[in-house]
Amino acid sequence: MTYPDTQSLVIASDYRVADPMRVPPLLEKRKSALAEIGAHHVVVHGSTLDPGRVLVSIAVHNREPIVDLLRSRVFFEWFDAVGVEDIPAVFAGELVDRIDLTDTADPGPPGVIVEAMTSVQDVSRLIEHVHVALDRFRAAGIRKTWIFQAFDDPREVMILQEIGDEKSARRWIEHPDATAEWMDNAGMGAYPPLFVGRLLHMMRIDETD
Amino acid sequence: MYVCLCKGVTSQTVSDVVAQGASTTKKVAKACGAGSECGRCRRTVQAIIKAALVAPETR
Repeated sequence: MTYPDTQSLVIASDYRVADPMRVPPLLEKRKSALAEIGAHHVVVHGSTLDPGRVLVSIAVHNREPIVDLLRSRVFFEWFDAVGVEDIPAVFAGELVDRIDLTDTADPGPPGVIVEAMTSVQDVSRLIEHVHVALDRFRAAGIRKTWIFQAFDDPREVMILQEIGDEKSARRWIEHPDATAEWMDNAGMGAYPPLFVGRLLHMMRIDETD
Repeated sequence: MYVCLCKGVTSQTVSDVVAQGASTTKKVAKACGAGSECGRCRRTVQAIIKAALVAPETR
C-alpha cells in the first residue's frame, strides 16, 4: 500500500529538505501533536528524480475549519523542524475517486508514485474521462489512481497514481494519455512540478497517541 | 492551494489580486493579506505573480 484509503480531509505539501531520511523520525516525535489536530495517517514519499524533495500527506478527521487547522502551531513547528524556511502552498481536499487496477492475485511490490497538484476544467468530467480510459491506464502500467478535490477551489485537484516501475512512470510522464490533462499545468504558479517518487514512510496515529 | 497559512489566503485569491494589478509581494500583502504576517509564503506569492506575467492570456 502506498496511500491510505481515506474519506478524510487530506492536507498535502511538497517541499525540499536537507535529508529526507530525517523526516520519518521527526514525524514519530510529533505523533501526539498530530493526534491533537485529528491526524490519523501521515504518508511521506521521497522523490526519485529530484533528491531532497518530499511529498507529505496528512489524513485528518475533520474536526475544525481548514483555515484554523492550517493556522495551528503544529504546521509551523513542523516546517521549522525539517528546516523549511519558505512555506510551500498546501493542498487541502478530499478523496472524490479511487481506482484500483491492481491484479488482486499478484499486487507486486510497492510501485512508483506520480503526483500532480493542479487545476482542471471540470473535475466531474475529468473523472468520467478517466473511467473511459482505464484500459489505456492499465496498459501504461498504472495500478491505482486517487483523485482529490480541493475545498477552496472546485477545479483544483491532487492526483496520485501508482505505477508499476520507474520505466513506466517515466514513459507516462513523457507521453501521458490525452485524458491526463492534469499533467499540463503542474509547476505553474503555486503548483509544484510533477512529483515522482516512492513511499518513504507511512505512520498511523491512534487517538491515544 | 492555501498559500498563506497565517491568514488562510488561497492561490485563487492571490491570483485575483495579481490580475487586478498587485504586481509585487508587498502589493499582494496589502490587497489580500497573503505574506503580511510571518512572510514565509512570499516565494509562492512571487511564483504566482511570475506565472501571471508569463501567461496573462490564461486569466
